[in-house]
Parts: sequence; C-alpha cells; structure tokens
Amino acid sequence: MNLLRHVAAREVKIGFRNPWAYSFMALFTLFMFSLLLIILQGYVSGYSGVSGTMLNLAIYLLPLMALMLGSFSLTGDKEEGNWELLSTYALGTGAYLLGKYIGLAIVLLTIVAAGFGLSGLAGSMFGGGFDLATYGRLLIFAALLSLFFLAIALLIGTLSRNRWQALTAAVGVWFFAIIAWPSLLIAVLGMLPYLWIKPAVTALVFLNPAELTRLFTVVKLGGGSTLGPEYYKWVKWILQPWGTPAFAGISLLWISILFTVSYVLWERRRGRG
Amino acid sequence: MTSTCRLALRSTIMGWLVVAVLSGGQASAAAAESASGHPSTTANHTGSVDVSDVSSASMTTDLQPILDEAEPGSTIVLKPGIYLGPAVIRKPLELRSEIAGESILLNESEESALIVEADDVTLAGIRIRDEAFKPQATIVVSGDRARIEQLWIATGADGISVKDADNGTITSTVIDWTPREVSMAAKGNGIDLFNSHRWRIDGNTVSDAHDGIYMEKSDDTIVTGNVVERSRYGIHCMYTARTVIRGNVGKANVTGAMVMTATEVEVNGNTFTKQNENVHSQGILLFDAHDSVFEDNKVEGNRTGFYVEQSTGNVIVGNEAIYNFVGIQLLDAESNVVEGNLFQGNVADAQARGSSNNEIAGNYWDGFSGIDTDGDGYSDTAYAINPFFQGVTQKRAAFQLFFQSPGMEFLEELFQNNRDDWSRDVKPLMAPPGFDGANPSHGSSKATGYLSLLLIIAVIGMLYMNRRRTI
Repeated sequence: MNLLRHVAAREVKIGFRNPWAYSFMALFTLFMFSLLLIILQGYVSGYSGVSGTMLNLAIYLLPLMALMLGSFSLTGDKEEGNWELLSTYALGTGAYLLGKYIGLAIVLLTIVAAGFGLSGLAGSMFGGGFDLATYGRLLIFAALLSLFFLAIALLIGTLSRNRWQALTAAVGVWFFAIIAWPSLLIAVLGMLPYLWIKPAVTALVFLNPAELTRLFTVVKLGGGSTLGPEYYKWVKWILQPWGTPAFAGISLLWISILFTVSYVLWERRRGRG
Repeated sequence: MTSTCRLALRSTIMGWLVVAVLSGGQASAAAAESASGHPSTTANHTGSVDVSDVSSASMTTDLQPILDEAEPGSTIVLKPGIYLGPAVIRKPLELRSEIAGESILLNESEESALIVEADDVTLAGIRIRDEAFKPQATIVVSGDRARIEQLWIATGADGISVKDADNGTITSTVIDWTPREVSMAAKGNGIDLFNSHRWRIDGNTVSDAHDGIYMEKSDDTIVTGNVVERSRYGIHCMYTARTVIRGNVGKANVTGAMVMTATEVEVNGNTFTKQNENVHSQGILLFDAHDSVFEDNKVEGNRTGFYVEQSTGNVIVGNEAIYNFVGIQLLDAESNVVEGNLFQGNVADAQARGSSNNEIAGNYWDGFSGIDTDGDGYSDTAYAINPFFQGVTQKRAAFQLFFQSPGMEFLEELFQNNRDDWSRDVKPLMAPPGFDGANPSHGSSKATGYLSLLLIIAVIGMLYMNRRRTI
C-alpha cells in the first residue's frame, strides 16, 4: 500500500514536471475557451449544438492525451532504466501499475479540471455558460473518457518496447476508436443480414469506450431520442435510476479487465526478463 | 325583473336546484339574448315554468328529465350541484351553469356524458366528470352551430367529438384526460372533429390526451390560442383544407403540430417546445402537405424542429428553430420555400434526402460559417446539407447510433460526391434575423461558477504541491 502510494506520488510529481502535461493542459484549456466564446452567444442546457460540439472536441482531444501520456510514462520507465531500478526493490507489478494508473489519472484529471474550471468560471462571470447539470455531466464525461483511455494506454505501454512503438500504437488506437469507428462499422456490418446489425452495433459499442461514454452522456443530456426507435429500450434503461450505477459498474469492469490484462502481460515479461 | 322573479321562485320551492325553463313565447328572445353575447344568467318567467324540485341538498339528480322538460329554444340554468348523465339534447337550447364550474355533470356509465343532436345548442360553464376509460366520447356533437364555452372536462375517452356538424365554436374549455396507466395509443383525443367544417376552436387547454385537437376531413377550421400538453400530437390535421392554426402552444407532446394530407393550411405564430422524449417527436410535421404556409412559429427543444416529408409548395418563413436535436429535416420534399428562418443551437442544423428542388435561401444556420465579401449580409457561399447520414440510416436504422459522432462527421466530410444534388441554402444569412442576443432560458449559472472555482483551486493546489522545490 505504501509502495503504491510512493509510485503514485512519484508519477504525479514527474507528471507535473513533464512539459507534455503542461502543453496538453494549455491545449485543452485553449479549446475550452474557444468553445466558451461560442457558448457566450447562448446559454447551454442539455443536448444542443454547443454541448454536442463540446462532446466531440473532448472525444478528439482527451483520449489522445491519455493514450500518449500513459503509454509514454510506462515505455519511458523501460527505456530509461527506471523500471529495472525499481525491480531491484520489493515492488510488485500490481502496485507499480496501479500506482502509475492513479498517478497519471491525477495528472489527467487536473488537466480536465483546469480546462473546465477556467472556462466554467469565465462563463459564469460573463453571464453565459452552462447550467450546472449540463456542466457536471460534461465534466464527468471528460473524466471518464480520460480514465478509460488511460487504461488502454497502460496496455499499450505494457506491449510496447519504446516510445516510438507506443506512439504508433497510441495514434492507431485513437484513429480506430475515434475517427474510423463509424466508417468501419458501416462498411463491415453493412454486409451482415439486417437483423444482425443492431445487436452487432450494440455489442461493439461496449468495446469502444469513446462511443460508450459519448452515448451515455448524450442520453443523460436528454438527447436519447436522436438515437431513433431502434434504441428506445436502451435509452429508457439508462434513464432509470439503476442506469447510472450500472454504467459505473460497466466502466469499472472495463477498466479492471484492461488493467488485469496489462498486469498479466507485464508479469510474464518480468518473469522472462 | 329577474331578481324578484327569482326570489319568488326560490321561496316556493326551497330546493337547491332550480331549473327554470322559458316558455316557448320567450324562446326567441332568449336565443337573441344569448346570441348577442349577453347570456342570461337566470331563467325566470311567467308562463309554463317547470321546476324539478329536489328536497335534499346531498342528492344528485338526473339531467335528462330536465332537458326533456325544457322548451326548444329555452335557457336552462343549472344551480350548483351534481347532475347525472348520460343525457341527450334533442332540441335547440342553452345549458349553462349558474356559477361557472359549480354545476357538475357526472357520468359513470359507458355511454357519452352528453350528446348534442340538435342544432343551435349552447353549453357553458359546466364541469363534466366522465372518467371511465371507454370508447364513447364525453360530449358528442352532431348538430350545427353548437357553442361550447368554458367547460371543464375530465374524460377517459374523446373529450368533445364532433361529427358531421358545421359552424360551431369551442372556446375556453379545459379538457383533461384523467385515467392513468393507459398507453398513449389507447387514449382519446381532446377535441375531435370529423367531417365538420368551419369550426372555431379558441383558447382551450388539453392535457394528457391522445391528440389535443384532431381534425379529419374538416375544412376551414380556425384553431387559435389553444394549449396542449403531454399529449401525443398537439394539433393534428388529416385530409383538411384551409385550416388556420395560429398562436397555439404545445409542450412535451410527441409532436406539436402535425399537418398530414392537407392543403392550404396556415400555421403561424405557434410555439412548440420540448417535444423531444419520443423517438418520433417533432415540433411541426408536414407529411403530404401542400401549398401551406408556416410562418413565425417557434419550435424549441424538440427532437426535430421542422420535419417535412413528401410535401410540396409549402412556404416556411420567419420561423425560429432553436435548440432542437435536428433543426429541419427534408425528406423527398419538393418545391417548398424555406426562407428567413433561424436555426440556432440545434445539434444538427439540417438533414435532407431527395429534396433538391426546394427554394432554400436567407436562413441563418449557426453551424455554418459563410463568407460575405459584398457585405449584403448574406453569405456568398452556399450551405449544402449533406445527405450521407440520412442515406445510411434510412437503409439501416441501427446506425442512427452514430448521430453527430466525431467519426461520422469525419465520414460525412469524405462523401462530397454529387454535391450539386444536395439541398442547399443558396445565400445563408451571416447573422441571425433580428436576433436580440437573447438566450432561451438564461438560468442562473452561479452554481456552475462555484464548481468551476472549486476545480481551479484543486488544480492550483495540485500544481503547488508538486512544484519544483529549489533546495
């Protein structure tokens, strides 16, 4: 437990000395501010043009940030020999990875908080901006998105030998999950019999955390009816009282599974090494 | 003269119920009186005055005998109390409550509470409780020139059903569909017109019904200033012509106004908000609607603001479609005019498919940024509506899940072929038409400010704790 805390604290410390963290923070804050200028033309409540745009920009930026910071942190340890040094101590892989995850999560959430905090404050000062519910949901959405992709980043970091490999994989995963996702699904699933499409799309949504969190947030913002009659039951299910805890459970499960896979792979390499 | 006569009557019968019926001789006078807009509040005359006397105050009385005893053309004034339906009006007369809302017509049968068969019948001020879930409408009107004003109707069927009757009015009436746990499809309509022309429906309120105001094969009806809430469709025209729908308000219905298979309908100055819960929700829907005018309406926070399908020759001008999920949707719609509308804050401004021959110009789309080199206020570049998403979801509805997803936007950018066939606004406005910078619901964002402040403090704390120490 103590070790875990040490790893996490070290990660946070290194994280905030990393110019990457600051440039990402600046980037995210800048784009939140640019959105604010749009928002100031109107009050944002629920699912609207502005919150939709915001959702999409967060989907572009945050996963990329999480993937890069996360995977570079692990491969950096490998490349710079930190991991070998740490291995000489009685430090378990679990404590190391979890410490890394927690530390990086703190860094990422700080970046998210900075972006949301500054734009939210400016918005409320200039008399435009968000209502609390929409603001809160978008904030939770951004935080979740970061946590999901940080788990993927750990896996990428585990599998990659150096930063270059990690960068390639990170950008690949990002492009696949964010940009190419609908194209791929429409192309591939379009060949399936009509009745299989919906179950296939639904199942695949659970594999892509970007889509999963986006859809959950859209429904929570009151935009469930945009998904059409096919998903009526899903929308109703999410909106019932159990919807949010169930989604939290799925998120936790999702991150745990990815973490476990990373752990097992890391252990195996450690054994071999 | 009236007060003395009334006192005399009261003293003789000592009952809580007084029903005075005008003799035939005074009938025309009473009719003229009520027609002139000064309805008589009491009926009281010499001649054949017929009184139903009920001795106990707690008792209820049947309405039918009262109606039967009345002379044609007379005015019946109901004292406060409870009257039992069902009842049928077979002669022209005026039935009103002495104190508006205090006379209650209670119907617990499976029949209609009140059937108006005769022409020239007036109903006013009566509260009707007819809450059984059943097929027979609460009030059935088949006589011409009926006047229905200021009724309160709690119904479990159609509120007012008009069939084959012309030239009536329904005003200031409140219709509430009361049975709970009944599916939307099984409910009755608030006001239902069938093959009935030239009606005026003004200032009524309908809640929780199937369709608020439904008109079928009924032409030249004027529907103004009504409010419909939590119903399926607010105002619904089927096979009608020259209907006027003006200044109505719809909230949280499945669809605000539905104009189907109708011609020369005029829809203006209505407000339809928050029609967004249902996957088939729209502010205003046009299906097979032709040569109609939609002007100065406000559709806000709906799933789709304007939904236009297989409709031609309509004019959609000067409307505000704001904060909808989709501003306007054009499906196989041809030669309509869409001009000078405001589309703002919609998640998707417009979607179109097979609708290339419309005149779309001079609208403001906030999702579009144009270039205005000559400074005339209109963009020199057109706003083209990408049909890709519509095409994909039409074939495979499951892909609706990608609505406005980042990858979908990317894909839409890639599909630019046949751009010339897209629906387009040829000269979109650069700034909202007459926009006053008003936000639709400028609620307090103070709480958001505090939360933001908290976040900033946390960030600063985090950065401070992890700062480089110079030791």
